[in-house]
Amino acid sequence: MKDKMPVLTRRDFIRGTVGVSLGASVFGLQWPKEEARAAGSSLVTVVRDKNAMDSAKNIDITVLEKMLVETLTRVTGQKNTKDAWLSLVKPNDVIGLVPTDHLNPTHDEVVDVVKNSLVDAGIPEDRIRDAQGPRNAKKCDALIAIPGLKAHWLTGIGTVLKNYIMYSGSPSSYHQSNSAKLGEIWNLPFVKGKTKLVLVDSLYPLCDKGPQPDPRYQWNYNGFIAGTDPVAVETVCLKIITEKRKVIRGESWPLSPPPICVEAADKVYGLGTSRMDQIQIKHSGWDHELLL
Amino acid sequence: MNADKPNLPKTVGVWNRLEPPRIINSKNIFKYMNGAGELYLGYRFRHLEVFDYTSADQGNILVELYFMESPDDAFGLLSLDWGGESVSFDGAPEAISTRFYTAANRALYGGGLLRLWSNYIYARIMAERETPSSKDAVFALGKAIATGTQYPPEPALVQLLPLEIDDVWKLRADRLSFFRSHLVLNSIYYLSHENILDLDLSAEAVIAPYQYISDSGDPKRSQFLLVQYENRERARQALNRFHDAYLPGHKKEKTAETAAGSPSLFKLEDGWMAYKLIGKHIVIVFESPDPESALAILQKNESNLLKKGGGS
Repeated sequence: MKDKMPVLTRRDFIRGTVGVSLGASVFGLQWPKEEARAAGSSLVTVVRDKNAMDSAKNIDITVLEKMLVETLTRVTGQKNTKDAWLSLVKPNDVIGLVPTDHLNPTHDEVVDVVKNSLVDAGIPEDRIRDAQGPRNAKKCDALIAIPGLKAHWLTGIGTVLKNYIMYSGSPSSYHQSNSAKLGEIWNLPFVKGKTKLVLVDSLYPLCDKGPQPDPRYQWNYNGFIAGTDPVAVETVCLKIITEKRKVIRGESWPLSPPPICVEAADKVYGLGTSRMDQIQIKHSGWDHELLL
Repeated sequence: MNADKPNLPKTVGVWNRLEPPRIINSKNIFKYMNGAGELYLGYRFRHLEVFDYTSADQGNILVELYFMESPDDAFGLLSLDWGGESVSFDGAPEAISTRFYTAANRALYGGGLLRLWSNYIYARIMAERETPSSKDAVFALGKAIATGTQYPPEPALVQLLPLEIDDVWKLRADRLSFFRSHLVLNSIYYLSHENILDLDLSAEAVIAPYQYISDSGDPKRSQFLLVQYENRERARQALNRFHDAYLPGHKKEKTAETAAGSPSLFKLEDGWMAYKLIGKHIVIVFESPDPESALAILQKNESNLLKKGGGS
C-alpha cells in the first residue's frame, strides 16, 4: 500500500530520520526543520558536593543549602538567593513545587531546602504548595519543577519532561510512541509559561530499569542540575545517564527505548533546546565522574 | 513443595513482618507501580503478594512475590538482567542442567536487591539499606522462598540456541532474555515503538547477541531474535508486517509466504540482516558484519530448531 504511514523504527535512529517518521506517524505533521524557538544558548548549571549524601544515603542539609545558593545565583546571575528567587517569581505568586513522587522520588530534604529558601526570600509560606498531581498546577502562578534524575523503561528518560505527566489527566496515553508528545503537556493552558526553574535532584540518580528501582544502577552523583530551559536541562541529564551506562557496562549501552520526547520537546513544542552545542554548562564543586 | 505459597518467616534478624500482605492483581498493579505495570502484564501474570518487613533502626525490607502462569514467565522476568552476584541456596538439586549460563543463576544479588526465579514465582527482595545484617536477612528470605521448590528447566525456546557457531560466534548468554511483549523487547533491544512483530501473550521470544573477538581484539556482535507464534499463519502474518514496517522499499526477495527455502538477506545501515519463516517461528539476525555471518547464525539456529521438531 502506497499510503501506509511510516513506522518509527530502529533504522530511523541510525539514519537520522526520526523526525520524518515521527512527524508523519505520531504528530500528523511535518517535523519542523528548524527549532520552534529562537536559537540561542541555554544555561544549565551542575552543582555538586561530595558531602551532600554519604554512602548510607544520609543527606547533609547544610550542604544542600549551599548547593542551592550556588545553583540559584549561577542560574540567574544574581548576587544572592533572595534576588535570585525574585528574578524568577513575584512575591505574591502562588508557587507550586513539583517533585517526583515515584521511581527514584525527589528527596524530601531537597523539597524542604527549596521551600525554606523561598520563605527566606520573603515568599509567604502559605503561598508555596505541593503542585504534583492532576489539577494542582491550575491554582499556581509559578512552578518549580524538582524531578529526580532517572531513566525510564517505557520512555527512555523519565526526569524533566515526564515530571508533569499527571497534569495531562491521562498519563498512560503518553507511553510508547506517544511519549514523544510529553512536551505538549508543558503547553497546556494552565501549565504554559509557569515553570520558572527546573531543579533536578541528582543526588542519587537511577540510570536503568524500572518500573521499580534497582540499586545496582543508582549511584552518588551528589548534584543539582538546574536551568530555566527544561529541554536543555533534560538533555544534560540524558548525557549523564548515557555516560554512566557506558561506565557500568564498559561498552556502549544505549537507553532502550530511545528517549524521543527530548528532541520532540525542542523541535515540535518549542520548549527549549536539545542540542548540546547550544547548551552552556556551568559546573562547580565535586568533579569526580562528572560524566559531561 | 511450597512453590505455590512460600512460608515466609514472621521474623528475620531484627525485621518483623507486617500483616497482612498486600495483594496486587492485574487491575490494581498500575496503582501499585504508579502507572507502570506493563512490564509484569507483558508476561502471563497471575498476582503479586507484597510483604513488608520493618525494623526499629535498620530500614525496611520489601518482599515482592510475582506469581506467574508458568515457570517460563518467571524465568523471563529474571532474564531481563543477569547482572549481580549469583546466589545458590541449599537444596538445589544437582540435576539442574548446566548447559546454559542461565541454569546456574536462579538468584542474583546486588546493592541490597535479591532477584529470584523459583518455579512459578519471580521474587524481588529489597533491603532499604544494604548492610551485612540486611544482606543476611535478604538471603534468609530468599532461601525461604526457594526451599522445597521445584527446579524447572529454562524455556524450551531458550534451550534451542547454540552456544557456539562455527567456533567463532559465541552466545552472550549473559545478555539473553525471554519475553512475550514488544514493550519488553524495546526495553532490551529497540526495534520500533509499534508492535511490528505482532507479539502478545500467546507468543514466546528469545533474544541474545552472538559475539566474536577478532584478532585485533575488536568485538563484533550480531543480534539474534527467535519468536514462536501460536501457529504458522500468525508467524507468516507477523513476518509480513515486520518486513513492511522495518524494510520499506526493500523488495521481499523471499516473501514470507515462500520463505521455506533460503533466508532473506538485506544490507542495512547497521550491517546485514537476515530473516526466515520456519514453521510457526520467525528467526531474525540483526547487525551482522557480513552476509556470511548472518546466514551462519541463522542457519545453525534453524538446524537446532528443526532437530527439535520446531519446523512444523
